[in-house]
Amino acid sequence: MDFSYTEAQESFRHELRDWLEENLPDGWLENPEIPSDREERNAFFKEWQQTLAADNWAGIHWPEAYGGRGASLIEQTIYREEMARVNAPPQINLIGVNLIGPTLIEVGTEEQKERFVPNILSAEEIWCQGYSEPESGSDVASLTTKAEKDGDEWVINGQKIWTSYAHIADWCFLVARTDSSGTKHEGLTAFLVDMDQDGISTEPIHQANDDRTFNQVYFDDAVTTDDLVVGEVDEGWDVVMTLSAFEHGMTSIYSIEQEYLDLLEYCQEETRGGTPLIEDDNVRRQLADLDARIQAAKMTHYRNVSTQMETGTPGPEASMDLVVSDELRKDLLNFAVDIKGPAAALWDNEHEAVDETSGYIRSYGSWIAAGTGDIQRNIIGEQVLGLPKDIKSKTSHRGE
Amino acid sequence: MDARLTDEQQRVQETARDFIESEGGIELARRQLEGENVVDDLWNELADLDYTAITVPLEYGGFGEGMVYLTALLEVTGRYALPGPLPETAAIAVPLLTELGTEDQQSTYLPAIADGDCRMSVAVYDDETESLPHAIQMRAEPTGSDSESAFRLDGTKTLVPYGDDVDAVILAARTRNSQGYDGISLFVVDTDQDGVETQRLDSLDWTRPMYELTVDDLEVGDKALLGPVHAGGSALQTAVDRFTVAGTAMLTGAADRAVDLSVEHGTEREQYGHPVGRFQAVKHRIADMWIDMQSARSLVYYAAWALDNDEPDATRAAAATKVYAADRLHRVFSDDIWNHGGMGFTWDHDGHIYLKQAKSWRNFLGSPESNRERLISARLATESAKSPSGES
Ligand SMILES: Cc1cc2nc3c(=O)[nH]c(=O)nc-3n(C[C@H](O)[C@H](O)[C@H](O)COP(=O)(O)OP(=O)(O)OC[C@H]3O[C@@H](n4cnc5c(N)ncnc54)[C@H](O)[C@@H]3O)c2cc1C
Repeated sequence: MDFSYTEAQESFRHELRDWLEENLPDGWLENPEIPSDREERNAFFKEWQQTLAADNWAGIHWPEAYGGRGASLIEQTIYREEMARVNAPPQINLIGVNLIGPTLIEVGTEEQKERFVPNILSAEEIWCQGYSEPESGSDVASLTTKAEKDGDEWVINGQKIWTSYAHIADWCFLVARTDSSGTKHEGLTAFLVDMDQDGISTEPIHQANDDRTFNQVYFDDAVTTDDLVVGEVDEGWDVVMTLSAFEHGMTSIYSIEQEYLDLLEYCQEETRGGTPLIEDDNVRRQLADLDARIQAAKMTHYRNVSTQMETGTPGPEASMDLVVSDELRKDLLNFAVDIKGPAAALWDNEHEAVDETSGYIRSYGSWIAAGTGDIQRNIIGEQVLGLPKDIKSKTSHRGE
Repeated sequence: MDARLTDEQQRVQETARDFIESEGGIELARRQLEGENVVDDLWNELADLDYTAITVPLEYGGFGEGMVYLTALLEVTGRYALPGPLPETAAIAVPLLTELGTEDQQSTYLPAIADGDCRMSVAVYDDETESLPHAIQMRAEPTGSDSESAFRLDGTKTLVPYGDDVDAVILAARTRNSQGYDGISLFVVDTDQDGVETQRLDSLDWTRPMYELTVDDLEVGDKALLGPVHAGGSALQTAVDRFTVAGTAMLTGAADRAVDLSVEHGTEREQYGHPVGRFQAVKHRIADMWIDMQSARSLVYYAAWALDNDEPDATRAAAATKVYAADRLHRVFSDDIWNHGGMGFTWDHDGHIYLKQAKSWRNFLGSPESNRERLISARLATESAKSPSGES
């Protein structure tokens, strides 16, 4: 057992630190400010990603041949720690960088890789992920959006929902049903679909945090072509699994730890009734509990990373990272709002770095997004502990 | 970085598990709680397997290992609620003797501990309703002789684990009028001498008997005084940190078994035509037990490593183990009882053994509340030590 970093890993950290100091948006370290106008904000995130990409810092886990650094999992951990430490802005094309690019590199054709992969890191083309439908969320394999073959084209009809960034996306990584004669996991196919066509319309959904980043997407005789099938026709579930492994490797624990440290600073600076918040027994108690949970989550993540260094892919036990960190962030931000006192009634982000009010509402989104806690607990119960499987329907037909 | 046990550390666990299983597994704890004393025989065997020597320095016939090896072992002993003062001896007494002992004290106790001929416990509480450090009230009065380490001990310590099964205790007393951790001195007191008596208490956890230990006008000298006069408080706190991590390791092992028991029952027991573990109320409860157990384990791994390597955040990491585990692992054990229905409430189900251990450990040598305070003070100290730019 060894929790220390090697010299090479430390020098990787310093290289990144130096680069960040040079290249973060002007004045970011003193006063991190994100434009409030939606379009300006997207442009800001895009520019940031392009700055990262120019020096191969956008997708360090990607192979070097594709503009990455072939970074090890430990280096990725260091990368996340450092990005969190400076509250670096998010990249605009995160779904592309973290999920779709790596999936294409693993299972895409040579032509697909050549055509699409370079534009993902450079944010020239923004991607969205079209899985969820109004009737298929947790049970994603039951989806019914249809793709029918017509010559060397596929004609797509149906509806997707909750599709993040569809309104600004150039391409969609879509899963559709190409055969409904078998069980629900059979007959799915993954497609790359051009969003810029008459057959597709998107309608942003007004979110609880007053933002509009996810959408309804309607497919009305939309088309894509044979060469844009990912993997085999009717074998889309394998592709879904490949992509979801990349999803499981992600964790927000480092940004949560940074948010906690910002909160700690806030509690030292702010007073209530003339006494610093940090001297309040209840505040200390809650901070200590959060601290212990954050350390637990971080060390568990280190253990999962160490296992994955050996096995290559995250096992079902990585579900724990997601459950624990999503719930932790919710509790942390909930507390951050509470300690504002009566000002908790105001939509006010008094302390920029914690971004507590909007962060608190936003944390409900990530809590639901990558599979709810119920689904993660099913995975742990069934795949890690071997408990009997839920009673589930095997078909995509809903008692029609 | 590799945040897992090494192959060698895993082998330690496998060997320990095979050994304890071959001796009857949890039956050992059951025999102890039925009134038999299994500690003597068991200790000899633990010594044969070198477990008593793990933390003893090489020059005294030990392995010179630290908390990482010890907690790896204690996870296994905890799984079977194995009776015996192993955490008291290996996590408290040995490191204190190693850090503070005179050569004479070290050569008297350490080789004997390594060989299994000496077991140790701790005698700190004068009042079982007070917490540390207030619970330390006994005065050690200078005898007035020339020697600065000659003191007279008089009073009754309580909550001494395995008091009658050990050869010596680390005893904490006040050598001057003081409060808090100031003015505390530590002594090694042999239990088989005149003037030292033990009396069994009725403990919640019968696998871990608790004793009163009375010292009646006992004169002690350099052989007993451990470390500097008046200044034993901080060493005691570090020793308590080690014990905290050791205790969390044992309960993590117990929680691991509680998860196994719940999984087994959830798979076999059928109601409404299905194994009960198919119902999500049960399945998700077990998943949560597993998450809490794994989280406690992660905290133990890091705290053990941090203590061994004198990392700046070792204190915080140690405190975090109890802050996290005290209530959460207790819940793991109570949920295990829930999952077993009526069976869960029986003497035959092992759940109550673990539950009682968790409860009696909760406030012993540091409550979760006092550890929260220790954690947050340590965190604030590290943060303010960092330069404003955030460079570490
Ligand atoms: C911010 C955000 C961004 C998103 N972005 C995308 C995106 O880009 N692309 C995309 O395809 N999707 C996206 N989603 C959709 C997301 O994947 C789904 O919302 C999620 O999988 C849950 O599906 P659902 O909303 O249909 O809820 P449902 O599946 O209907 O769940 C409703 C409730 O039932 C519970 N439940 C369901 N099944 C079970 C079961 N078997 N056992 C126990 N409980 C169960 C759930 O836990 C939940 O509490 C996003 C969602 C959010 C909130």
